[in-house]
Amino acid sequence: MELNGNWEEEEEDEEEFEFSRNYFLAKELASSAKKSKSKNRVTDINVVDEQELREAAWQIEPKHESEIVLLLDSYKTKYPEWLLALRCGFGLLMYGFGSKKALIEDFASTALTEYAVVVINGYLQAINLKQVLIALAEVLWDQMKAKRRVSYRDLPMSQQSFHSQSMDDLLTFLDQVEIEDGGFFVGVVIHNIDGPGLRDSETQQCLARLAACARIRVVASIDHVNAPLFWDKNMAHTQFNWCWYHVPTFAPYKVEGMFYPLILAHGSANQTVKTATIVLLSLTSNAQSVFKVLAEHQLCHPEEGNARDQLVIVMRKQKLIKSLMTVKKHLSKMHKHRLVNLLRYFDAQNCSYILVNNQTLKEFLEEVL
Amino acid sequence: MPPSTTPEVVENDLQPFFVLHKASSRIKDRTPTAQTKLCKRNKLSSSPASEKQLRGSVTEECDHHLFQQPQIEAFDIVWTKIESTIKDVLRDLNASIFHDIQQWVLECFNATKLLGEPTISEATRSFPVLNNTTPGKLFTSLVSTRNIEYVDDILTFEELGNFLKSHGFHVAMLSSLEFSLKNGIADCLKALLREFLGGAIDSADISILASWYREQVNYNKPLVLIINDLERCCGSVLTDIILMLSEWVVKVPIIFIFGVATTVDIPRNILPSHVLERLCPSRFMLGTPAERMDAIVEAVLVKHCSTFSIGHKVAVFLRNYFINQDGTVTSIIRALKVACLLHFSMEPLSLLHGRTLAEDQEEGKSSLSPETMLKYIDELPLYARNQMVDHQTKMSMAEGLSDLVTKQKLWSTAVLCLYEAGKYSNVRLLDLFCEALSQDLYLLRSSDCHAGYEKDRGLFSTNDRCQQYPVMQCGGFIGQIVRKVRDLSTGVLYQLIESWGKITADISEVHEKLETLRASVRCEEGKSPRKSSKGISRRPASKISVNIDKNPRMLNSQAVAFLDCLVRNFLRPIEGMPFHEIFCFKNVEKLQLVLIGDPRRRIQVDLLEFHKILKCSCCSKSGNSLVPSRHDSSIMYSLAQEHGDLINIHDWFQSFRSIVLQHKNKRKQTAKQSPSLKKRKDMNGSADQNESSIQARFCRAVTELQITGLVRMPSKRRPDFAQRVAFGL
Repeated sequence: MELNGNWEEEEEDEEEFEFSRNYFLAKELASSAKKSKSKNRVTDINVVDEQELREAAWQIEPKHESEIVLLLDSYKTKYPEWLLALRCGFGLLMYGFGSKKALIEDFASTALTEYAVVVINGYLQAINLKQVLIALAEVLWDQMKAKRRVSYRDLPMSQQSFHSQSMDDLLTFLDQVEIEDGGFFVGVVIHNIDGPGLRDSETQQCLARLAACARIRVVASIDHVNAPLFWDKNMAHTQFNWCWYHVPTFAPYKVEGMFYPLILAHGSANQTVKTATIVLLSLTSNAQSVFKVLAEHQLCHPEEGNARDQLVIVMRKQKLIKSLMTVKKHLSKMHKHRLVNLLRYFDAQNCSYILVNNQTLKEFLEEVL
Repeated sequence: MPPSTTPEVVENDLQPFFVLHKASSRIKDRTPTAQTKLCKRNKLSSSPASEKQLRGSVTEECDHHLFQQPQIEAFDIVWTKIESTIKDVLRDLNASIFHDIQQWVLECFNATKLLGEPTISEATRSFPVLNNTTPGKLFTSLVSTRNIEYVDDILTFEELGNFLKSHGFHVAMLSSLEFSLKNGIADCLKALLREFLGGAIDSADISILASWYREQVNYNKPLVLIINDLERCCGSVLTDIILMLSEWVVKVPIIFIFGVATTVDIPRNILPSHVLERLCPSRFMLGTPAERMDAIVEAVLVKHCSTFSIGHKVAVFLRNYFINQDGTVTSIIRALKVACLLHFSMEPLSLLHGRTLAEDQEEGKSSLSPETMLKYIDELPLYARNQMVDHQTKMSMAEGLSDLVTKQKLWSTAVLCLYEAGKYSNVRLLDLFCEALSQDLYLLRSSDCHAGYEKDRGLFSTNDRCQQYPVMQCGGFIGQIVRKVRDLSTGVLYQLIESWGKITADISEVHEKLETLRASVRCEEGKSPRKSSKGISRRPASKISVNIDKNPRMLNSQAVAFLDCLVRNFLRPIEGMPFHEIFCFKNVEKLQLVLIGDPRRRIQVDLLEFHKILKCSCCSKSGNSLVPSRHDSSIMYSLAQEHGDLINIHDWFQSFRSIVLQHKNKRKQTAKQSPSLKKRKDMNGSADQNESSIQARFCRAVTELQITGLVRMPSKRRPDFAQRVAFGL
């Protein structure tokens, strides 16, 4: 056994060595390449019109369609195993190349029909977790009512009151252990738990607490190779309690890739109406009003930016906000979601621009706000 | 990307969240009896020949949900048992330290009371009592967890909290999350109030706590605040709260318990000196993870090995995972849980196991008769019963199983005896456990044993009597343990024999052998060598009667003989016995896959060797060479491997383009050669279309690589280069 152990250790060392060697080889390659560094520029590529590029991107002919269908079918035999893990209290984490959205949703709608299932689209830019928790609480409440697990007397809160509860209270509600039936839960599907909207540590902590609730079972997918770094051992081992399943699908990342700028399209960092709407709707109503003021100002004065101090004055007049701090907070959040750009002028005036062209902005104001 | 061009993207995909479906009410009508009937009907309509087919049809017809019910029940029974064993073990391990802490809290509380009690007028004011002496000191215990990962200690501190609560103390548990800079002291104080007072408190006001404490029911009990991971707390928030509480110490006599993972000097690093002055520290030490690990292995995998056991490879994997990778007991417990899940999910006969355990608990029996086993087998669900074809098989299985349980008991006793002896040579149970499970080593020992006897006869006059036992020649930890026993002093050996006595009390086969050893101990004590020669192990009896009082090492030799007998007769690994599959989980590859995902490596392999997964005819033929039929992202990632840490986008695009077009050119050629084929589109018109489509494919492949985190987008400083992130698998 010792021999075995040593052998395995050696193998691990070898792997580690291999890794570092690869890293340094790559670095070396880069430094040697510097001398004869490729001077070719992106601009040398004869890029087609951006609109055409986007259209072409949506009409890419998928490869290996039939093989992918077969592959997805082959995963169907694993559904019972996944269901068992879920019912035994584990969380499922799907990884591997390709969009796993269809696969997981198919699993949820065929194997989890006995339970209510809520889907969170983690690939979107911003997700309001509080709203998710409220929805979950409502679904669980319905489920309990339907199964007559509790009488109304036992449960003082009504569906409406979930909106006024704090995150802690909602989590406590979802963590009810009094219900005797251990197999009574709400499934939560989280596509791209490593996605941009869920990436910060506070959200991950919150998701971990959600996953640890007695009445919640999580099925999540990751795509990023370093996604496990989001979780410390407590989160990964006890709260999420992952069972890992390697399920490459090679299906195109259609929706997941929607928010990424195309590498060859130059003005691609700008938002389109569609993406901007999604982002804006996920913000609080107060932030939406701030955006509205910003937009109106930008439409009236297309040449200049929105000086922040000016903005504060307008908003105070409209009784939208009280302090500069709040405006700063809103603006930085919008900046984070690439809705606005923040600039600092030489006279130390902070200005902000909405990153949508004026025509789009007009349509947008009519449509959304 | 106007919405009109995206018909594939349904509205739900753009909602942050949505309800996929509500729970169906079908389940109500389906009871387990209904399911049994369904299964029985299946059985009637089937022929034994089409066993595999039948299993498939059962799986389809019986709903997964009910089909899994026995598996879930079995898992629940086994895991609940293991979990409660683990909890008990950890509680016992911490019992003495918890007791010490409780005593310390009481002493501190009495000392705080000496500061003086507030008068009624002082107590009802909403500001602290300020004596003209120095501000109060806060008693603080630093509990060293001796483990850099705090995850193991969360449970320990919870248990500590419950222990102190059971002694009537007020206990608040806060984690480092509450001491974050973002939340500040207000949230921290609110959390503190919530912990002590219960229920949500809106205002962060310490005087609420003071007035609560003044109430009759709460007064005169120590207030304990436990923070389990001091290192992760924000120093400034902690400073504020310590300063505030030290001012209030007369009204709110709070006592701190801090969990520290690194060194007890840590407060010096995160708190300024004027705050340190307010603390009056003491130090406690918890057990190391290795000690906990051994205690858990002892209780779960050795003492209760018939509950659930693991094969040698799984044991070695867990050991290496614990020592080399993770180091936390939590992860090992989780690994066991996953192993348990996989066992019930993959081995149909394992259900028998759940049944026997449930029965065991009710009747308190330790071994099972073949008749009871037979009864359980008959009650198994169809898909599991299909594994046994006829009555004869069932009978032999029932006998085999009951034999297996008995032998497992003997194995576990042997391991425990060896471990007891191994404590003198610092052998870790985990190592010994792995060795005791190894089938190879068992076979090696058996052959050695045979050879040993041969040697014995030849070397009759050897000086070291112990050398004659084959176990002495064993390598590994068992050999080490036995050699140590040979050299133990008589006093220690007496103790060891006593503890062996306790271990083997219930197992008559082993106990008999030990009794003979003990008899000789008693003889030696009473200096009556003649008597001692009676019952000592059979083989060297004649020699012993001659040498016993001349050789002070006689007792050691007898102890070695006892161990030799244990190892030879009882240390038989479970994997070598028939029907072990029912209790024993062996599939280490599967466990590793489910337990430790390796996305970094796996996703890269998916891309580089995707044809092995998709098994398509077009790419499989050409192996790893870049053919245009490969997935775009796969081509792109393979191309990226040729670059250093920076990839020139222009070059990358050109190489991608040439690979893709190579395909088109070929197709064009074939089209020319066979004009009878379908007419192709106008070449000039499609050229532009091709170009835009290639560019779009390039863009999307880059996006996909970006989603997987393998490539980073060009920065403003280097607009022409994308950055590679992963190097090597």
